[in-house]
Amino acid sequence: MKKSFLLFLFGIAFSLTSFAQQTVVKGSVLDGTTGEPIPDVTITIEETGQTKKTDSKGEFSFTQNVPLGEQVLKIEKVGYTTKRYPIVVNEGQTVDISGMTLDFDTSDKKDLFIISISDANLNSEDDGLTDNISGLLQASRDVFLSAAAFDFSATFFRPRGLDNANGKVLINGVEMNKQFNGRPQWANWGGLNDVQRNQEFSMGMSANDYNFGDLAGTNNIVMRASKYRRGGRVSYASANRSYTGRVMGSYSSGLLEGGWSYSVLGSRRFGNEGYIDGTLYDANSLFVAVEKQINDQHSINFTGIYAQNRRGRSTAITEEVFNLKGRQYNPFWGTLNGDVRNSRIRETNEPILMLNHYWNINSKVKLNTNVAYQFGEIANTRIDNGGTRLVTINGENTYLGGARNPDPMYYQNLPSFFLQDANPTAFDYQQAYLAEQDFINDGQWDWNALYEGNATLRAQGGNSLYALQADVIKDQQLTFNSILDAELADNIRLNAAVNYRSLKSENFARVEDLLGGTGYLDVDFFAEEDANSTISDEIAANLAQSDVRNPNRIVGEGDRYKYNYEINADVISGFAQAQFKYNKVDFYAGVSLSQTTYQRNGLYENGFFQGDGRDGSFGNSEELSFSNYGVKGGFTYKVTGKHLIDVNGSYFTKAPAIRNAFSNARQSNATTIGLESEKIQSVDVSYIFRSPKVKARITGFYSGFQDGSDIGFYFTEDLAGLGVDTGDAFVQEVLTNIERRHVGVELGIEAQVTPTIKLKGAASVGQYTFQNNPDLYLTSVDFQNRSDIGTEVRFGDGTTQLDGYHVAGGPERAYQIGFEYRDPDFWNIGITSNFFSNAYVDVSNLARSANFTSDFDGNTFNDYDADVARDLLKQEQFDDYMLVNIIGGKSWKINDYFVGFFATINNVFNEQYRTGGFEQSRLANFRRMQEDQSRANGPVFGPRYFYGNGTTYYLNVYVRF
Amino acid sequence: MSEQNKLQKMKTLKINKIIVLLLGLVVFTACVQDDEFNTPNTSVVEPNIPENAKVQISALAGELAQAQDNTSLDYTDEETTYLYTFNEAPLYMEGYVVSSDEGGNFFEEIIIQDNFENPTIGIKLLIDVNPLFVRYEPGRKVYVKLNGLSVGITNGVLTLGALNGNEVDKIPSASEGDFIFRSATIQTLVPMPLDFSDFSDDKTNLFIQLPDVQFNRNIVGDNAQTYAAEQSDEFDGERTLESCSAAAAVIFSTSTFADFKALTLPSGRGSMNAILTKDFFGEVYNVVVNTPEDINFDNPERCDPDFLECTGPSGGGSAIYEEDFEGFGTYNSEGWDNINISGTDTDWFISSFSGNFYSRISAFNSDNDEADVWLVTPEIDMDMTTGEELSFDIQANFDNGTNLSVWISTDYAGDPTTATWSILDVTIPVGPASTFGNFETVGPVNISCVDGTAVIGFFYEGSDPSATTRYHLDNVIVTGN
Repeated sequence: MKKSFLLFLFGIAFSLTSFAQQTVVKGSVLDGTTGEPIPDVTITIEETGQTKKTDSKGEFSFTQNVPLGEQVLKIEKVGYTTKRYPIVVNEGQTVDISGMTLDFDTSDKKDLFIISISDANLNSEDDGLTDNISGLLQASRDVFLSAAAFDFSATFFRPRGLDNANGKVLINGVEMNKQFNGRPQWANWGGLNDVQRNQEFSMGMSANDYNFGDLAGTNNIVMRASKYRRGGRVSYASANRSYTGRVMGSYSSGLLEGGWSYSVLGSRRFGNEGYIDGTLYDANSLFVAVEKQINDQHSINFTGIYAQNRRGRSTAITEEVFNLKGRQYNPFWGTLNGDVRNSRIRETNEPILMLNHYWNINSKVKLNTNVAYQFGEIANTRIDNGGTRLVTINGENTYLGGARNPDPMYYQNLPSFFLQDANPTAFDYQQAYLAEQDFINDGQWDWNALYEGNATLRAQGGNSLYALQADVIKDQQLTFNSILDAELADNIRLNAAVNYRSLKSENFARVEDLLGGTGYLDVDFFAEEDANSTISDEIAANLAQSDVRNPNRIVGEGDRYKYNYEINADVISGFAQAQFKYNKVDFYAGVSLSQTTYQRNGLYENGFFQGDGRDGSFGNSEELSFSNYGVKGGFTYKVTGKHLIDVNGSYFTKAPAIRNAFSNARQSNATTIGLESEKIQSVDVSYIFRSPKVKARITGFYSGFQDGSDIGFYFTEDLAGLGVDTGDAFVQEVLTNIERRHVGVELGIEAQVTPTIKLKGAASVGQYTFQNNPDLYLTSVDFQNRSDIGTEVRFGDGTTQLDGYHVAGGPERAYQIGFEYRDPDFWNIGITSNFFSNAYVDVSNLARSANFTSDFDGNTFNDYDADVARDLLKQEQFDDYMLVNIIGGKSWKINDYFVGFFATINNVFNEQYRTGGFEQSRLANFRRMQEDQSRANGPVFGPRYFYGNGTTYYLNVYVRF
Repeated sequence: MSEQNKLQKMKTLKINKIIVLLLGLVVFTACVQDDEFNTPNTSVVEPNIPENAKVQISALAGELAQAQDNTSLDYTDEETTYLYTFNEAPLYMEGYVVSSDEGGNFFEEIIIQDNFENPTIGIKLLIDVNPLFVRYEPGRKVYVKLNGLSVGITNGVLTLGALNGNEVDKIPSASEGDFIFRSATIQTLVPMPLDFSDFSDDKTNLFIQLPDVQFNRNIVGDNAQTYAAEQSDEFDGERTLESCSAAAAVIFSTSTFADFKALTLPSGRGSMNAILTKDFFGEVYNVVVNTPEDINFDNPERCDPDFLECTGPSGGGSAIYEEDFEGFGTYNSEGWDNINISGTDTDWFISSFSGNFYSRISAFNSDNDEADVWLVTPEIDMDMTTGEELSFDIQANFDNGTNLSVWISTDYAGDPTTATWSILDVTIPVGPASTFGNFETVGPVNISCVDGTAVIGFFYEGSDPSATTRYHLDNVIVTGN
C-alpha cells in the first residue's frame, strides 16, 4: 500500500488491484420527471458517513466496509429535493436499489444558489490570486460563468465588463471587500480551496439572503466547522503559471459527540518563478474552524484564517521591450549572490478572526450575528533611488546625492532612445546597438551596483543612496453584523441585515533594506522651490521635508518615512428584502441604506503642504460623509418547468472608495473636488431553458454608471499653459463625473448529447463605453507653490473628451465551444476553444483633455492638424486571438481512499496575445505625441502592454479519505 | 463500536503517514528565496594591468599634439582627434578622479588628473552614466582602457571619450565596464595652489586651490545671489570671483542642475578648492566646485577696495549736475572724456532705444582681451553746495560678470591714469546672461565729503570674451543743497 502511494505521488498511474467483495450496496438514481439518469448525486450511508457520487449513468456502489443491518441512504444533489431511503444490509449480499428518483426542486429558490464546489473547481490552480481573476466566478455552476471562470479568466475577460469591486465577497456573511478600493483581497484567503467548498452565489443583483449585493453578484463562502463533511484531503499540485507547487492537507471532523465540530487546513504554495521571469511565490495558509452546537437553537462558531502571501511582481512592457525580450520578460528582478531577487515584492499578512452565532429562534426565523476582526498589513516594495546627504552652509540646507532611476527598462537604456532623432548618426546607431545588446543579454536589475554605490558612500560617512522601500497599508477592521432570515408565510421570506464596519488604516512607507548602507536621509530629493513661487523663505526652506515637525531624520531599517497617515472609515448599513414564491412567478424586492464617513489624519506634516487641518497635511482632514441607498426588484416567470424568464432591476448609489476620496493622500489632507457617490442603474433579462439534456441561458444586460471617480499618478512633460520648460510635473490626475454604459448579451448552453458526452458553448458580446466627458484636473507639488497657477490645474473647459471611448478591461467579445467526455470508469477529458476580440487599450485621459491641443502658453499649437490628431487619439484595438484549453482527470478508489489527479493545459497552441495595456501620459500633447509616434525607430514612450501566458500546465494529485 | 474505533485508529495512522510524507515533500521542494539577502562583497579587486600597458595622461596629450601637427597642444583646435585603435596592444591610462557628480554640478563626465598631489595634467572623461560618484569618487585611482577611445579638445579642455563623427563624445553606458577599471587605491587629494594669473590651458582639469578669494561685492550681502538659481541663469550660473591678492577676477560657474544651486553665495573671503575648466565655448576660464563644502570663506573681513566714505548728512537737495543724454552732442562737445587706456578700440558711445538715449559700452566680439575704458563727466563744482549725492541708472545686459565701477576724483586733468581716484560704494546691477536687462537706479550715494571741483568716472574693465557685459548708463544726477 505504501509503495502504491509512493508510486502515485510520483505521478505514475497504476492499475487498481481487485479486492474481495462480499457486501455491496449499489443502485442508480433517475430524474423523477424525465427518467434520465442523474450524475453527480451524492449518496451517503448515514451511519458511517461514507459517500459516493453517481457516475454519468446515474449509478453508484458501496463495496468497502459497508455497515450491516438497517441503514439509511441519503440521496442529494443541488437543485433537487433530498431523499432518504431505508435499506437492510446483510453480510455477503448485494443490495441493489436501482431506479431511485430525485425531483427537481422548484420550491426553495434559496437552495438553487448553494453551490457545492466540484472537484474540478476545488482542484484548480486558481484561487483568486491570479492578478486578473474575478474570484466570484469560480463559485458558479452557470454554464456561461463557469466558462468565464475557467477559460476566459486568463485574459482579463470580465463578465459584463465589471470590475472585481462590483462584486461582493462574504465569509460567513461578513463582507470582505476592502474599503480602500472596494475589491476583495483574495490573497487573504488564498490556498484554502478544500475548505471553500461551500459557497453561496447569487448572480448579478438577484435576491441574496445576506446583503443588498452588487452588479457582479454576491458570493458568500461558508466556512463554518459544522458545514464540513467528515474526512480529509491531501493534495499536491504542480504548475508553471504562478506557483510551481502546492501542498495542501485538510481534515474536518463532521459533527462529533457533544455538538462539537472542527475543521483544519494547512497549505503551502511556492515557486521561484511562474510563467513570467522572476515572479517568486511564497504562500502559507492556515485555517481553523471550531463550532459548538449548544442546543437546537444556538450554535457558536469560530473561524480563523491566516493566509500569508509573498509574491514577486511583474509589469506591463512596451512593444519595443517585448520585441527584444519576449512576453516572459520581467524588469523587476536581478541576480544577487547568485540568487534571483525581485525588487517588487507584494506581501500580504492580514489574518481574519471571526465569531459567528447562529440562532434558530423558531423553525421559521433565524438570526445570525457575526463579529469579525481583521488586522495586519499589505506591503509592496520598490527601489528608492533618492538617497541624499545633508549639507548645511551658513544655516542653509542642501541635499546632495540622488541617482537616476536604476530600472533596466528605463527609457534611456533602450535603443529607441538613441534613435529618436529623425536622422540618427553612426554614433547613435552604435549606442543603440550597444544598448540593445546589453538589454538583450542582461536587461535585469543590477543589485551589485546598488550595494556598491551604498558601500562607496558608507566609506565616506554618507547615507544610503539606494534603499528598498515598502509602501505599507496596515489595517485594523472590526465588523459587526446581524442577519435575519424569516419565513413570514409559506411563500414569503424576509431577509434583513444591519452592518457596522470600522476601519483604521495606517499608510506609510517603510525602509525594508538599506542595501548595505547605514541610514537614509528622509527628504524629498526632487523638492525644489519653483521660480514663480511666492512662498516665504521659511516655508521654502522646508519643502523637502516629509515631516516638517521632525526634519532631516536619518531613518533605519523598519522605520517609517516619506509619508505617514491614517484613514478612519466607518460604515453603517442596513438592508431588507422580501421574497415571494408562487406557482407561476417568484418575485422579490429589496432596499438598502448606508452611511459612510472617511477622514484622513496626517501623522507627518509634509513640506509642500505645511500646516494642519483641511488645507495642510497634519492632523485631521475634512470628514467626508456619504449617504447611500438602493432599491432593487425582480421576478422569475415560469412559463413551464422548462422555460423561465428572469428579470432583475436595480438603482443604487455607492460611496466612492477611499483611494478616490483623497486626491493626494500621501502628502496632504486635500479631498477630491467634485467627489460624488456613484449612481448605478441596471437591468437584466434572461431566458432560461432547462431540460435534462439541454441547459441554456441567454441574458441581455444593461448597466449605467454616473458620477464615477478615479485617481491616477504619473510623470508628464510640457503641460499646457505652464510656461516654457516649466510644464513638467509628477501629477495626481483626478477624474470625476465619469459616466459609463455597459450593454450586451451573454449566452451559455450545454447539451448532454449522450450520458458521457457533453457539448457546451458560451458567448458574451458587449459594449462598454464612456458616455460623457468627465471632469479632469491635476494636482502636483510642482505647482502647489506657484503663484501664477492654482493648486489644481485644469485644461480648456476642464473635461476630458472620453465620450464614446471604450472602457478598458479585457475583451468585450468572447466565445467558447467545447466538449466534455466523462467516462463511467471515473475519468474525464474536456477541450474548449475560446475566441476573443474587441479588447481596447486604456487611453490617456490627459491626452484627451484640452492639454492635447495647447502649447505652453495655453494657446492652440500653430501646427495643430485635426486629422493627424484624430489618428493619434484613436483608441487601439488589440488583435483577436484564440486559446485552446484541455482539461482532464481520473480517480480511483483504494480501500477507504479516493485518489485522483486533475490536469489542465492552457493555451495549447502557444498563442501570443495581448491581454491589456495602457497609454503612457508622459507625452500628452499633439506636438510631442506626433513627434514620438512618428519616429522611424519606434516611440520612446509607446503604450505598455500585458501579454498573456504561453502554453502552461497545471497538475493536481489528491487523496481523499 | 470497537470495530468502528479500530477503523478510526487505522485511519488516523494513515493520515499521519500521509502528513509525514507531505512534510517531506514540502521540505524537499518548497523552498523559496526569502527576503534576507546578504550584503554582497563589493570591495574593489585591484585590476591586473601590466606595467608596460600603463599610459600617463601626458602621453595622450602628446599623441593629440602630434595629430594636430604641433609640438605642444593647441587648446583651440577642436577639430583634430586621436583614436586609439583596437588593433594595438591594450593601453590603460591611469589617474586620479577629482570631480564628483554627487551634487549634480558635473554630469556624465569624470575629471581625472595624473597624480593625487602636484598634478601636471588632467583630462575630462565623457561617459553616459549617472551617477558616477558611487564608483568613481574623488581620490579614487582609475585605469581607462584607451583602445577604441579618442582624445581631443572639447569646450577648450583635453577630453577622452568615444568618437562621434569628428568629435569626442560620451562612452555609451553599456560599455562602462569595458573601459573603466577601478584601482583599490584611494588617496586624499592635495589641491594645487594656483593664482588667477597662473591660469593656463595646461592647468585645466586640475584640482586647484584658490588661496584668498571672495565673490564680487555686488552679488553678496544685501543683494546676495544664489549659486545658480536666479531667474536669469540658463544652463550655468556664472558669478564673479575676485582675488584678494591681485586685481583679478575669474568666473565661478555652477550648473543650474546642481543640487545646491539655490544656496546663497557666501559673503566672506577665504580659500576654495575647485576644478579649473573653461566655459561652454571653451574661451573663458571657469572654476567649478564639486560641492559647496569646497568653499571655505571663514574670514568675514572682505578685501573690497577702500570706498569713499562720507559720513555727513546728505540728500534732499536739487540737481546741481544732470545728464540724461537726450539731445546729446558728442562726448567731446558736451565736456565728457571717453578714454580707452588699453589702447584698443572698445569705447563708450551714445545709443537709443524707443526714443530714450543713453551711453553704452560692451567688449563683446571686440577681440580685445584688454578693453579698459573710462567715461568721465564734466567738472562739477562741489563748493557751492552741501550734502551732495550721486545717482545714475544702469541697465546690465548679456551679463557675464560685473566689470563696471564708479569713481570720483578732484584732481583729474584729462588723463585717468594719473588722476587720484576714490572708488564709490555703489552696487552695479547684475543683468541676465543671454538677453537685455532693465534700467535700475543706482544710489543715491553720499559724496558730501568731496569738496572742490570733482569729476565722476565710470570705469569699464572689458576683456573679450571673458568680461563683455553690456552696460547702458543714463540719468547721471548730482544733487546738493
